[in-house]
Amino acid sequence: MDPTREILEVLYKEAELLDEGRYREWLDLLDEEVVYRVPVRQTRERPPEGGLSGVAEGMHHLDEDRTSLEMRVARLETGFAWAEDPPSRLRHFVTNVRVGEVVRTERGEEVAVRSNLLLFRSRWDRPDYTLLSAERRDVWRRREGGWRLAQRIVILDSATLPTHNLSFFL
Amino acid sequence: MLRLSDGVRAKLEELAHGVEEGLLPAWIFNDPDLFELEKERIFSRSWVYLAHESEIPKPGDYVLRYILNNPYIVVRGEDGQVRAFLDMCRHRGMRVCRAEAGNASHFRCPFHGWTYRNDGALVGVPAEREAFAGDLRKEEWGLVPLPRLEAFDGLLFGNLDPGAPSLEEWLGEIRWYLELITKRSPAGLEVLGPPQRWVVPTDWKLALETFISDSYHTLMTHRSLIELGIAPKDAKYAMYGEQIHVPGKGHGAMVVGAPPGAQLPPFWGYPEEMMERARASYPTKEQWEVAKETRILLITLFPNFSIHNPIRRPDHKYPRPVPMLTFRVWHPLGPGRIEIFSWGLVEKDAPEWFKEKARHSYLRFFGSSGTFEQDDTEIWSHVAQNAASTQGGRVRLYYRMGLHLAPDPNWPGPGVAYGLNFTDANLRNFHRRYLEMLLA
Repeated sequence: MDPTREILEVLYKEAELLDEGRYREWLDLLDEEVVYRVPVRQTRERPPEGGLSGVAEGMHHLDEDRTSLEMRVARLETGFAWAEDPPSRLRHFVTNVRVGEVVRTERGEEVAVRSNLLLFRSRWDRPDYTLLSAERRDVWRRREGGWRLAQRIVILDSATLPTHNLSFFL
Repeated sequence: MLRLSDGVRAKLEELAHGVEEGLLPAWIFNDPDLFELEKERIFSRSWVYLAHESEIPKPGDYVLRYILNNPYIVVRGEDGQVRAFLDMCRHRGMRVCRAEAGNASHFRCPFHGWTYRNDGALVGVPAEREAFAGDLRKEEWGLVPLPRLEAFDGLLFGNLDPGAPSLEEWLGEIRWYLELITKRSPAGLEVLGPPQRWVVPTDWKLALETFISDSYHTLMTHRSLIELGIAPKDAKYAMYGEQIHVPGKGHGAMVVGAPPGAQLPPFWGYPEEMMERARASYPTKEQWEVAKETRILLITLFPNFSIHNPIRRPDHKYPRPVPMLTFRVWHPLGPGRIEIFSWGLVEKDAPEWFKEKARHSYLRFFGSSGTFEQDDTEIWSHVAQNAASTQGGRVRLYYRMGLHLAPDPNWPGPGVAYGLNFTDANLRNFHRRYLEMLLA
């Protein structure tokens, strides 16, 4: 199959798992050596060379590996994870998917994928909601059985986050 | 001075009764009148944490920080001295600095181009001669300095009140406990990066309570992490240790040791080399003796700055403890609304592997996504909601835990210490100080 088509399918599948709280299945989409980061973003002066401004080096909202993501998922399964129990209503809107060339590395076939994300979150019985907008810079790696997320850098479009916690995955 | 209406006066009386009885009315966690009073009488007169010196190590480095809704540029001048200025042009009140951090020798106002050196002096005015005909005395129109700026071991605090007592006097005996953090090594601390900032619909006092006194909540709020083996199974583990407050100042600390029989390494589990450095570096033998037995240390400075330094592992499978250190400001945005500024820090001369793992220990448990803190903010949000409800606001809340306890006569540190952490003693002390400032 066309890799772009395959990647679109896996991104949409991933969004479905995250929106439905099927985190165990989501973990199956992750490579063993996954790197998952959400850097802090600051308001800084425009960089002379252009590009995204204020993506902090050295500080993140999330800086995870396979083990720590498993820990976060296991926590949600304890029945005592109050931040998400009752769960948030989440919707991951994945758009502007840009699939790079498939390249062969020593770890196998890899492809860089960029996508835009608009995350809708509502909690409790109140009508208000929060939106988080971001770009995701991924590397997907082909494993037996399909593509696995090897790296994700989430570039948030917020400096101060408009939400009371990041108790979900982007 | 704010004129107190009869309604506000009645509220203060109710609060005063509550403090006396250890039964506080819930409305204090979400009340517009009280917030107005807090702005004037607490935050306009208290030492408020702004930044750590390691955030601005080089000349020209600056960060933008707030006291109430006032933006201050905290900047290191070419002479190495740290200053803080209201981020407001003297001409028409525009912000001269709109970035959160950076390096600048000058700040140029984007409105009409008035230009200030990073020591605050107005040095450039476009068309000065033609437009102002020599009337403008630039030396009188520099950026407005923050009335007071003082440092304690690299921690920078600001105060809006020119007549406030010195920072040293303000801190009082809590310095002994701060030094357990700041004097672990002669090299001092460094921030791991910029702060995480996020908004929580709650009251700054509620967030602070957790860090000044509430080890009791761990067993239920953080039950998920007990289930995962991150926090000890013993529901009473956070009970073991001392709770200390500084009378008249409002500050408090919790020094948690190891529960009886727990196999925990000494000195938070810091590496041997860091422990040995601390042994030589601490000002007194008593501080070393206490630190050696400490596994969790929390310090809160009145009004809204907290430190948390617990023994930790970077994740549930990592084989050895790597403690984390965080500073946080519970920045008041409005009634029932705060912004949290949360920093991770580490000893400057810690080994590189340790710095990296300490960063993980912090990020995975505290901060915006922290598996501890995300449950705290959920719970604080609901308490603040109830506090603003017509019936919930009237409910009086129970602050009498530990009233039966007598101070620990054998504790080697200053302040009033109790040999048990399941007590509201620090809260009662905090709220006494809080009320005293509201009434003064």
